[in-house]
Amino acid sequence: MQFKCNETLPERGTHIALKVAGGGCQRGDGTSCGIVSNSATTPGDMTERGCTYAGCRGVVGGPVKDAIQLTHGPIGCAFFSWGYRPHLADTDFHMKYTFVSDMNETNIVFGGEKKLLQSIIEASREFPEAKAVFVYNTCSTALIGDDGRDVAKQAEAIIGKPVVFFECEGFKGVSQSMGHHVGNETIFRQLVGSAEPEGDFSRTINIVGDYNIKNDIRTFEYLFEAIGLKIITRFTGNVGVDELRIMHKAALNVIHCQRSATYIADMMHDKYGTPAINVTLWGIKHMSQALRDTAKFFGLEAEAEAVIERELAKIQPKIDYYRERLKGKTVFIYQGGPRTWHWIELLRELGMETMTAATTFGHEDDYEKIFDQLAEGAMMIDNPNVPEIEEILTKRRPDLFISGNKEKYLAYKLGVPFVNGHTYDTGPYAGFIGMVNFARDIDKALHAPIWGTLRNKARPAPAAHHSAHGFAHGFEEAD
Amino acid sequence: MSCVTLQDRAVAINPTRSCAPIGAMLANYGIHGAITINHGSQGCATYPRHQMARHFREPVEVATTSLTEKTTVYGGRGNLLTALKNIWERFHPTMIMVCSTCLSETIGDDIPGIIDEFKENNPDITIPIISVKTPSYIGTHTTGFDNFLTELANSMPERRKKKGETNGKINIIPGWVNPGDIRELKHIVREMGLHGLWLTDYSETLDGGYYEPRPHFARGGTTVEDLRSSSKSLATIALQRHIGGEAARVYERRHNVPAHILPMPIGLANTDAFVETLTEITDHTIPEALQVERARLLDALVDTHMFTTGLRVALYGDPDLIEGLTGLVAEMGMTPAYILTAAENRPWAERMVELTQELGVESEIIIKGDLHELHKRIKAKPVDLIIGHSKGKFISDAEKIPLVRVGFPVEDRFGYHRRSVVGYNGAISLVDEITNVVFERKATAVVSNTLLEIGVEGHTSIPFAYTNGNGKH
Repeated sequence: MQFKCNETLPERGTHIALKVAGGGCQRGDGTSCGIVSNSATTPGDMTERGCTYAGCRGVVGGPVKDAIQLTHGPIGCAFFSWGYRPHLADTDFHMKYTFVSDMNETNIVFGGEKKLLQSIIEASREFPEAKAVFVYNTCSTALIGDDGRDVAKQAEAIIGKPVVFFECEGFKGVSQSMGHHVGNETIFRQLVGSAEPEGDFSRTINIVGDYNIKNDIRTFEYLFEAIGLKIITRFTGNVGVDELRIMHKAALNVIHCQRSATYIADMMHDKYGTPAINVTLWGIKHMSQALRDTAKFFGLEAEAEAVIERELAKIQPKIDYYRERLKGKTVFIYQGGPRTWHWIELLRELGMETMTAATTFGHEDDYEKIFDQLAEGAMMIDNPNVPEIEEILTKRRPDLFISGNKEKYLAYKLGVPFVNGHTYDTGPYAGFIGMVNFARDIDKALHAPIWGTLRNKARPAPAAHHSAHGFAHGFEEAD
Repeated sequence: MSCVTLQDRAVAINPTRSCAPIGAMLANYGIHGAITINHGSQGCATYPRHQMARHFREPVEVATTSLTEKTTVYGGRGNLLTALKNIWERFHPTMIMVCSTCLSETIGDDIPGIIDEFKENNPDITIPIISVKTPSYIGTHTTGFDNFLTELANSMPERRKKKGETNGKINIIPGWVNPGDIRELKHIVREMGLHGLWLTDYSETLDGGYYEPRPHFARGGTTVEDLRSSSKSLATIALQRHIGGEAARVYERRHNVPAHILPMPIGLANTDAFVETLTEITDHTIPEALQVERARLLDALVDTHMFTTGLRVALYGDPDLIEGLTGLVAEMGMTPAYILTAAENRPWAERMVELTQELGVESEIIIKGDLHELHKRIKAKPVDLIIGHSKGKFISDAEKIPLVRVGFPVEDRFGYHRRSVVGYNGAISLVDEITNVVFERKATAVVSNTLLEIGVEGHTSIPFAYTNGNGKH
């Protein structure tokens, strides 16, 4: 429970808790229960967190398939947020293109408003088929006081289509979570409700908080349709600007990611009275429950039961096969936020137990949901940093680590089987059929022969010798 | 004659470049046991880490001072002091490099001053702590790498104790290359019977092995001790003009170490220039092994020339890389129809005009360019081949023109960081790869060991039997 790497960082103890016998909570600093979350990162602790811009451009705004994704700032923010997150759609304009006002030193000194306006006009001229321009603000353009909102208004009048300005400068907030909030709030304010289509929307829903990573939505959209429901807007995986504008017409918001997208559902509830339900669209129990809860709202319970029965019959033999191969294994899940608690039950259905659970930007409610589901002896940790992750992987030695690209190679260097839960090694992992993919990937990760080879054949690093061609050790091996 | 075009658009669409901090972070990975603290928003560390992990497929660890709204008002001094303390206490690195960001530069944090304050308050911490300016709004990712090297040359070397004191080594600055390139350069220097001091060397730290147990610091990298003695080297060779050229001049000015600033050693002539410089600096002659490799490259150029001569190629990326590639492409008989770089670098463009003239090829040299511009050029007048990093795949996919992946990042294929494009061996593998890619074009079919151009066979009643892949003719 006490991390060796945290001997000089006692405050990290408040972010770590153990579920002890009897279900009680023992926090790392011994003072109380519950852990501190959504708070400022300790500088230099080697955090995995990103910034508000990343949460807004990368997560919420970026998947919108027919908007010009324009970063107002220097080049780097736009380059790094381009095309790496597989939030797919039925078209790929949003994956292929990144736009940036390309602030240089002179612009930083004299202001970038003119260049931003020019950039919006030029981008729109190059891609007239785009339905809107999404402009994301960055640290430097916010600091020099560019009035991006005003520029967006001017540009809108010139190009004749929505220019949506996101105030998502990187230094806002403590993690990318703030960026999700800004993204929700801005899209709601500027787009939702700006079109009023005619028609019968009584049996329609929005899927809120699913980003269609590797086509996740394809694993469950047909299930809702089979019940007799139509999805109007997917916020924001595989979604177009026109769908965001009519999002308020749906009869029900079905909220999947309950960290990055509850904000928009709350705002819709306040303004339009749209009811919402929280669901998990991963795993047998939760996916079935999601269909049941949604169906119940519309009085379509019988249809839901039929769909669930039919789908489970298809996957159950496969799940049983994998369960036999995976049972008894322990897991360390470290995801951005809710996926950590979404997956504890799914893994249990595969016979596996989550013994360490962590999130990058989870809030108090996320940790409550995690703690409720954890088994005795399991640990939860907020915003873990590299030394902590390394210590968990070496000392707690989970059989499987589920996390993202950055953490993957650390796991591999330590010989720990790994599944990429952020962008998926293959995917999709959601819904019933996605669970089979997930189980298959876990099975591959756990049973690849390389782990046996490493156990039996790996050798220590050869002693470094002083050589003009190699390198020279000049240090005592620490630890 | 070649012409120079300055791309005239405010908005950049699909840039070929990223920003300065990643360059400094990469360079710092070439120092054994060194850790980077990025002074800025968390994204400024996390995005480059993620990008480097996708290219090198290695754990990449960079610390951040996690600046937030409050610190933008009151300054980031407290955060940086805390970060320095935490990094020292938890990692005991051999060196710390602090690089700045748009945020910390714009709010005006005095990073060298804060580092001095930290050192004064912690006299027992004696490791070097250097600071490098890397705001994103100046230059490109290469600027960060170059600024790092200049800072290294300014702050790390000790003065010679007496005139003529030497470590017997040659400072070599490979520039922005891959681990495989550094290993190839080491091979050349070793074959020459010389000792290189590598500024810097991430050939192992970013292409490491699996060891049980995992070493505390990744194996490899130039040691701080070597950096200290780099003022006593026989000479400095910078193998990219824009990355390390200035550092080489600093060694010459401050420490009397002669500077040799060369084109990136890609292709025959450029590699010859490097090898000949090594012979000039020392009295060593070119060894048999390198003579054989050189002859093998000539042989490869002869064997492939019927399939490459006359092809039109688009090149994009960092100025030094594409300057080197231009040499090889011309040696293969191909025309670099478009040569595009992101920097607004007129002296480079003018040199490229001269170079292409010397090489007898005609090119459009596009500066301040982006990939959308290149795409438009290619649509207007197609090329046979595109050479550059992974981000060109969208052009390649759309126009069905093969992309030969060279440069950074290559994130959609495995193992490119292990390959080499420099030296005679690097050129041989590039010649092979380029020719093979030509063989795989949809417009061609391979018949035995010859090539058939589909669609130019003329009117015939003979049914066409050969297609490449599943393509229907």
